Parts: sequence; C-alpha cells; structure tokens
Amino acid sequence: MALLEVKDLKTFFRTKHGTVKAVNGVSYAVETGKTLGVVGESGSGKTVSAMSILQLLDANGYIENGSITFNGRELTDLPLKEMYKIRGNDISVIFQEPMTSLNPVFTVERQISEPFMIHQGLSKKQAAARVIDMLKDVRIPNPEVVTKQYPHQLSGGMRQRVMIAMALACKPRILIADEPSTALDVTIQAQILKLMNDLQEEKGTSILFITHDLGVICQMADDVAVMYCGQVVEMAPARTIFGHSKYLHPYTEGLLVSVPRLDTPVTQRLEAIPGSVPHPLRLPEGCKFAPRCKYAQPRCLVEEPELVSISENQSIRCFYPDMEARKDGKFE
Amino acid sequence: MGKYILKRLIYVVVVFFIVSFLMYALYNLIPTDPARAQLEPLKMSLKPHEYEQMYSDLRREMGLDDSLVIRYMRWMGLYPASGELLIQRTDDMGNPIQGARYEVLITETGIGGKKTERVLRVLTTNAEGEAVMQMRFGTYKVKEISIPEPHTLDPEPKLLKTDSIFNGMLQGYFGKSQYFKRDVVSVIKEPIKNTMFINIFATIAALGITIPLGIYCAVKKGGKFDSVVQATTILGYSIPIYIISLIFMYFFVVKWRIFPLMGTKTPGAMYATSTEELLDKLYHIALPVIVMTFASLGGMTRYVRSSMIEALSTDYIRTARAKGLREKVVIYSHAWRNALLPVITSILAWFLGIFGGSVIIENTFSLNGMGKLYWHGLNSLDFELVLAIQMFYTVVSLLGSLLIDLSYGLVDPRVRVDK
Repeated sequence: MALLEVKDLKTFFRTKHGTVKAVNGVSYAVETGKTLGVVGESGSGKTVSAMSILQLLDANGYIENGSITFNGRELTDLPLKEMYKIRGNDISVIFQEPMTSLNPVFTVERQISEPFMIHQGLSKKQAAARVIDMLKDVRIPNPEVVTKQYPHQLSGGMRQRVMIAMALACKPRILIADEPSTALDVTIQAQILKLMNDLQEEKGTSILFITHDLGVICQMADDVAVMYCGQVVEMAPARTIFGHSKYLHPYTEGLLVSVPRLDTPVTQRLEAIPGSVPHPLRLPEGCKFAPRCKYAQPRCLVEEPELVSISENQSIRCFYPDMEARKDGKFE
Repeated sequence: MGKYILKRLIYVVVVFFIVSFLMYALYNLIPTDPARAQLEPLKMSLKPHEYEQMYSDLRREMGLDDSLVIRYMRWMGLYPASGELLIQRTDDMGNPIQGARYEVLITETGIGGKKTERVLRVLTTNAEGEAVMQMRFGTYKVKEISIPEPHTLDPEPKLLKTDSIFNGMLQGYFGKSQYFKRDVVSVIKEPIKNTMFINIFATIAALGITIPLGIYCAVKKGGKFDSVVQATTILGYSIPIYIISLIFMYFFVVKWRIFPLMGTKTPGAMYATSTEELLDKLYHIALPVIVMTFASLGGMTRYVRSSMIEALSTDYIRTARAKGLREKVVIYSHAWRNALLPVITSILAWFLGIFGGSVIIENTFSLNGMGKLYWHGLNSLDFELVLAIQMFYTVVSLLGSLLIDLSYGLVDPRVRVDK
C-alpha cells in the first residue's frame, strides 16, 4: 500500500459568485521513498490538492468529498489537534516563495528550532544545536553565523535552503514541495534540486513535487500526475511520459512540445497550447480540455471522458489516447 | 544600536530647535505683547502719554525691543537674559577707589524712531572700589562722572566687568505667566500631573481594549461579531468627541447619577488618608477617561484589525501553520509581531491625539489639566504660558516619535541600522 493515498478528492471554495471546484475528483499516490511529480498550469488545482492533505486551506475552502490516507490513517476528518502532530513532523511543506515564506521578524534559529521544540519536546538550547546540524545538512556555509541572522540578510537560494532545513527538521516521511525552485534563478534552481535529490537518498523521504516545469519533473520524479482544471488527466511513470510513449494525453503532449529543446531546428516555431485555462466558475461541458485541444471531436464537447488505464501503470483521461492514431486523423 | 539611538537623538534636538523657533515666531505675530497685557488693568487710570511712557519702558525692560532672533535665543537660554554690571575702580597703584561716581546710560527709541539717551542710574563705588547693578535687557553705556581727590579722572574706568546670566528654557526657566503672575513652571505643575494621570489611564484602557478586540475581529473576519464591531467603531470614529462627552454626561451623570459632573475632587472634601484622596480623584476622572477611551476605540480597533488581517494572509503564516504550530502561537507570536509594525506607527499619532483631544475633554469636564490651561492662556493672551505649554506638546511628540523609532528597531530587525 502506498504511504500517502489521495482518492477521489474534491476540494471546493465558497466565493461570492459561486462554488469553485478547485480540485474535482483527484486521485494519486505517493510511494515510500519515491517522488510523485504533479504538473499543471496555474489554477489546475495542484497546490490546492496538496494543501488539502494538511488541511492548510483558506477559510472558505473545504473538502467536499474523498479520502486522504497517510500510513493507513484517514486525514480528511482528522481533528485539528491531531493534525498539529502531523504537520511539520510526518508531513512537511516547502513553499514556492522563499522571499515571503520566512517570517521577517524571527531569526533563522528560532524558525528552524520551532519544529524541534513542538514535535520532539527539545529545549531551546538542544534545538539550537540541532539547527546547526540541519543547516550543515542543507550545505549552508558558516551555519553558526547564519543561524543568528534574519531572513532579509540571506539570498533567495539560502532562504530556500533554510526552508528545506525547516521542513526536514523532524525527518518527515513525506515532503510536499510546492514549486520549490520556481522563484530561483537557474543555477540556484539546479543546486536546490540536486540538494533535494541528495537528501532524499540520504533520508529516504517521499516527495510530492508540485511544479509547472516539465524539465524539473523529468529530473526529480519517479511518477507523474498531469493535472488540468482540477482533474488528473494523465498518470504515468516519468519514464513513460518522457520516453516517446505510444499513448499520451493531448494536454501532456502539448506541454511536452511547448518546451524548447536543444535538437529543435532554429527555424521551427515553438508550439504552444492555444487559449488559456477556463475560468473555474465557467468550466466547459464534456472534456475540460476539448476547447483547446487540436484533436477535439464533436463527442469531446458533450461527453466527459473517464480516467482509463491504458497499460499496467499508465492511465489517461481521453477518448483517443493513441498519439499516432489521432495525428493521422483516425478517430474510432 | 547605539549609533542608531544617537542619530535619532540628534534629529530630535534639531527638530526641537526648528519647531521652537517657528512657535516663538508664530506667537510673536499675535497683535499684542506681554507688556501691553501687563498694562491692561492700568489702562483706564492712566493718561495716554503716561501709558505710552510706561509701555515703552516696560517693553524695554522685558526685552521686547530686541530683534526676534535675540528674543528667541534669550527665551531659549542661549543669550543672556539679564546680567550683573560690575564696576571696579582702582588707581594707578592698583588700590581701590571709594566714592567714584558713574552714570549708567540707556538708549531709547522714541516715537518716530528718534533715539535719545537717558540716565538710568547713578552708581558710587564702595570701599573695595566696586559698584554693582542688576541689569535687565538692552544696551547699556557707563560713563564716569566724578572721582574723589587726589585721583584724576580717567577717560575710561580701569576695570569694567559684566556677568551674563542665561535664563531660558534650557536653564529650566519657562518664563512668567502674565495672568497668574507666577513662574510658568509653578503654574503648570498641577495641570501637568492631572493631564498625565488622565492620559495614562485612557491610553492603557484604550490599548487594552483595542488590541485584543482588533486581533479577535481579524481572526474572525467576516463573522457576526466582527460586523457588529465594524459598524460600532465607524460610528464611534465619526462622532466628534464633544458630542460623545455630552451623550455620556447625559446618561452617566444626569440619568443614572453614577459619576460626578466635573472637577477632579469633591468640593470641600477633607481626606483622612492619601488613598482616600486618590480614590476620590479616580472617581472623578472615570467619566472623562471612559469618554476618551471610547473616542479612540474606533480608529485603533480598525487599524489593529486591518494590519492583523494583512499579517495573517502572508506566506510565512502558512509556513508557520505547516510546521505544526498551534493556532494561538501562529496568531499571537508569528502574526502579531508583524502586525505590530504599522500599529506602532499609528500609536504615536493617536497618543498625541489624546493630548490634543484633552483640550476639549478638560474644558467639557472642567478638569484642571494642560488642555484647559492652554485654552485659558490663549484667551488671556498669556504669551509665555501658552508658549511653554506648546513646547510641552512639542517635547511630548518628539519623545514619542523617538520612542516609536526605538521600539520599531526593537520589533523589526530590518530597521536596525547596525547591530
């Protein structure tokens, strides 16, 4: 059984204009010691699905339906008191914006020692010593100096290392990384990703990696869940998606071809998926991706496809998953 | 931190001098002066030319004929306010001469700018060859008129010394109240105590209510309680303080007879102990304090609420929650520390507002405080008293802003210029 299993999760938000179905029937699983990559455009529900796991939703958000099991334990109806024990201890989070995700008025030491103090009952002094160890683990030079500094005195990359140190403090079973490298420049991004890979090998942590960057997914993930409009449209091992598979969802295909490659001829225009993500309150009927899909058939606009298993570990939410066939115009 | 404090202190001093000069210059524009104010009661019993003579004498004696800068500096205590004229007469051998006579002359500017010299005093040296005279303002000239035998008259006295006496704000002399005919310091002493007393209570009460209320409303944003508080505070914020005073007076004094109408003590009361006196005072200031607190609730509550809402919606609050911190710790430690920054800034303006507001409150409730005294001073053209009170307000606001700056550095590590 998977360490973390999300099943048919529906997370909705009440707004003035109606209920926004941010996550609408999502299922995925994170295996022990493995990395699950969740890819999708902004607004596809990837962050909300992850925040649902720890009940870190905004005040107007709620879990309508579905189950989230961690280590055999149901999390969706867990009382807040129990949830406190899981957050930062069994499951912890690294956020996207290292610039704003650290509290500006507290020192690095205070912020990293908090998880030690609340989850392991360490004293301030013991925690401070562990903080230095953690900073060494995330390869921060001069940990004795950095520990006394405030976030504004650190660079973006350093802050993200501090965030990682904070998240890994209590040796969590699962690390939710919500676009941890998006706000960093490319060289720092590579360092942070390498650090996370190394730490995963050292500590055997499972990672739920959320990103919109396929390149990062290719480097990090074992399995991939592609999300669109609050649904998983494709679920497959990374090898399958990046390894010229016979079957792909048209959205995944669109994402893949919109990434510039070194072997793309200079004269060739980079393909982009036309249009943009539909408004969450005005979702189209039928397949949610149909209005932007270049292969869309009349059927797609009225009937919604199910997530269907194509092979043992690949499932696709499309009536015409065969890439070659739909390119040749063969729709059965 | 030391450098930071020093820098702030220098700013405060510079601003103090600028503000005090502007104040002094401004109050000098009032179309009357202390000399006229002092002569006011005699006006009817004097003939016009006598009045003019006395007026110009008084002006000179009070130093009002000097230029604005000189007068300001004298008032501040940077320029001699008065002095001691000391004449020491010796012969060629250095022995003191007794009985030498001197004329002290003064130049007067009469009507039409005509300058005339007038003998102010005639001095005679004593056995030590010395003659002393206290002088006030103006330029003095000393002329030797006669000298006992066998000495001969020198064109200039051998030794002439003047001691300058600085007597201004910097020396702790705030001037003399024309109305009370006493030192300003002694006039201000009692009201200042009362004002401080009332304002401290009002401040503590207001902060004690607004901060928890604002935080609670921010956490329960959009709820029923929050909506009620929002509506009430905007009402309290919009009604002027004197209307609030009257409404409260009507209910608490007239209708329910809970509090006394005015004053700071029961008329004619004798107190057995100082505790009893204090209790009576507290009983009397209760209503004004309630009114002042109520009036300041609106603005502060809204301010605390909005800055708290902002702090609670930040990314680092989500981080704090994700760490597994209890909601209480998240709110009171992580969010409040950040929400405090804008609140601190507004506390200063509000704190000064309380002092300003007390002009109205003290008049309404007839409390013997700074606000009432200030009002009284303005009405009776008590120039030096009003200036002194104005400077008191200036110093309060400067110290307040210094305190805010320092606490800002304490709360927000980003403001600390150097560690």
